[in-house]
Amino acid sequence: MTPTTAPPAAVTPARRGSRAGGRARDFAGRFLSRNDGRLGLLILVVFGLLAAFPDVFVGKLETATTATGQSLQPPGGGYLFGTDELGRDVLNMTVHGARISMTIGLMATLITVLLGAVVGIVAGYVGGKTDTVLMRISDFFLVLPTIVLAIILAPVILDIVGADAELFGIRATMIVIVVVIGLTSWATTARVIRSQVLSIKMRMFVDRARVVGSGPGRIMRRHVLPNVINLIVAQAVLTFAVAVFTETTLAFIGLGDPFAPSWGEILNSAQGAGAPGLGAWWYIAPPAICVVLVVLAFTLVGNALDDILNPRSGARR
Amino acid sequence: MTEDTTQRGRRQWPLPKLADPKAPLLRVEDLAVRFRMPNGSVKAVDGVSFGLDDGEALGIAGESGCGKTTTALSLVHLLPANGYIKRGRVELFGIDLVPKTETQIARYRWREISIVFQGAMNALNPVQRIGDQIAEPIEVRLGQPRESSRRRAGELLELVGIPRQRAGAYPHELSGGMRQRAIIAMSLACDPAIVIGDEPTTALDVMVQAQILQLLEQLRRDLGLSLILITHDLSVIAETCDRAMIMYAGRVAEEGPSRRLFTAPRHPYTQKLLSSFPNIRTDRRTLEVIPGMPPDLRKPPPGCRFAPRCPFAMPVCTEVVPPEVRFSDGVRVACHLYSDAEAPMAGAAGLKAAGETGA
Repeated sequence: MTPTTAPPAAVTPARRGSRAGGRARDFAGRFLSRNDGRLGLLILVVFGLLAAFPDVFVGKLETATTATGQSLQPPGGGYLFGTDELGRDVLNMTVHGARISMTIGLMATLITVLLGAVVGIVAGYVGGKTDTVLMRISDFFLVLPTIVLAIILAPVILDIVGADAELFGIRATMIVIVVVIGLTSWATTARVIRSQVLSIKMRMFVDRARVVGSGPGRIMRRHVLPNVINLIVAQAVLTFAVAVFTETTLAFIGLGDPFAPSWGEILNSAQGAGAPGLGAWWYIAPPAICVVLVVLAFTLVGNALDDILNPRSGARR
Repeated sequence: MTEDTTQRGRRQWPLPKLADPKAPLLRVEDLAVRFRMPNGSVKAVDGVSFGLDDGEALGIAGESGCGKTTTALSLVHLLPANGYIKRGRVELFGIDLVPKTETQIARYRWREISIVFQGAMNALNPVQRIGDQIAEPIEVRLGQPRESSRRRAGELLELVGIPRQRAGAYPHELSGGMRQRAIIAMSLACDPAIVIGDEPTTALDVMVQAQILQLLEQLRRDLGLSLILITHDLSVIAETCDRAMIMYAGRVAEEGPSRRLFTAPRHPYTQKLLSSFPNIRTDRRTLEVIPGMPPDLRKPPPGCRFAPRCPFAMPVCTEVVPPEVRFSDGVRVACHLYSDAEAPMAGAAGLKAAGETGA
């Protein structure tokens, strides 16, 4: 403490030190005290580890040339989940599929949330014509059917970037899926965030920041964004679930990348091999159960976050 | 802004460019503010004049909607979108602020005239550390880098009696009084000449209220600030202000040294206002109520605006706007009771007729 020009008139008794760290701990405690939060997090940690280090758990991704098993071998005998029509280990493919499905989910979520947050904050804070224009554009994307758009966009984007092109080591076909999911889901996020921004910009501290001399950019960054960050996080987690699910759907109908066996892609080849007719349930069940588990986990975590971070939702539920 | 090294009073920093070092700190003349409404224009402030000297504290009082906040905030053009200054002059160091554009006036906000907002919880961002919020005007207005702004914010916190370690706290971690102190620290961020306190002690309990007023008083002494205190609590003005201005329906009813105003109120409205406050010395069980309502400011009454509620109303009151009468003790009153007073003196006749003394 350095001496100041005037001694304080009356020193208010104050607890020493900041409690910011306590806030984070408090948040973690509340999250983990909930069953849905704990379960969701557990599932996500397991899949996160599988996705991060698939080689450690099941070895390199098997291809048609490196496959070791018989065609459509049922579970057992060294193949926990059985094999596919090419003799590949389904467990091996499912674990590697986690990485691909979740990478696509993550990228799609990033696009969705970035675009949605920026559009939502700008539309809500600036208002007027900007708001009208941005919201009409989002209306347009809100009513676009994901699958139809994907079927149309896939060849267009592939034509533009070239089917063999790679972007940051990601194949073009995967980018198509990411772009399609991003395009069709940012509008929801934008709407949700805009509505919250509308109420925040009426708060007095925003007026105060304006009077103090902050420009709109600074106010949106420093005052509005931190107040909607809880919504953004909850929205991101929920979007992730939708993205993984959409990716599975799109890959299943054949818009995926055959060289990158995501869960949807495995289901697609199972269907192509006639697995349902041959009674090869072990070919279909593992990837399908994985999709359901991951979507469920994200939804659980998203709901828990929403409840904890949103002070008003306590009364609602 | 180029720096003029002229020093004025106790303020040890440069005046804005174009400032006249000999001019008074603040002189407001015939200020009129209107609000555009769907069904006519509201004459919220109509011909208000007052002055403020270096280191002086002026209290503005009156009932809700009498134009006290509008008067103070219009000095730096902080009016709602439908409000505008109709006429008048606001001279700060001899610079007229009324014709300034939005970008020009923005330079005077916080640097020369800053505001202590009422309701500290609402004026603070709930998810930003108070140190950063206090540093914001320093960063934005004075263009200082983040680091030195933060340091200065820490100094300001200590100045208002909060240990600087608390700069990392969020508003919800502070008590109501500390939040109000933080808001005061913020108002001091750019070394303003004038601080406007817009009901700074409303919603605080009496003990904290006293501490906050004491703090403002001390800051005024130590920093050579001038203070405009808006309140409907007359005791706050009696305790802290050198001069008091009583407003009614957008006009000044009476203005002068607060000691005079509270001991010998001349305007019937001031008298009524004082008698509608509890007094610890007189044994009065019931408080007086001023009958009637303030007038509709879209169509204010032609003469004196208080005439419809005034117990001493004369025929002339409803027709002619009362001229301001200056008394030798520094009080000025806008009332017809005194307009023909040949030698206005302290302790006027109308007061005795009313049989009412404030204290």
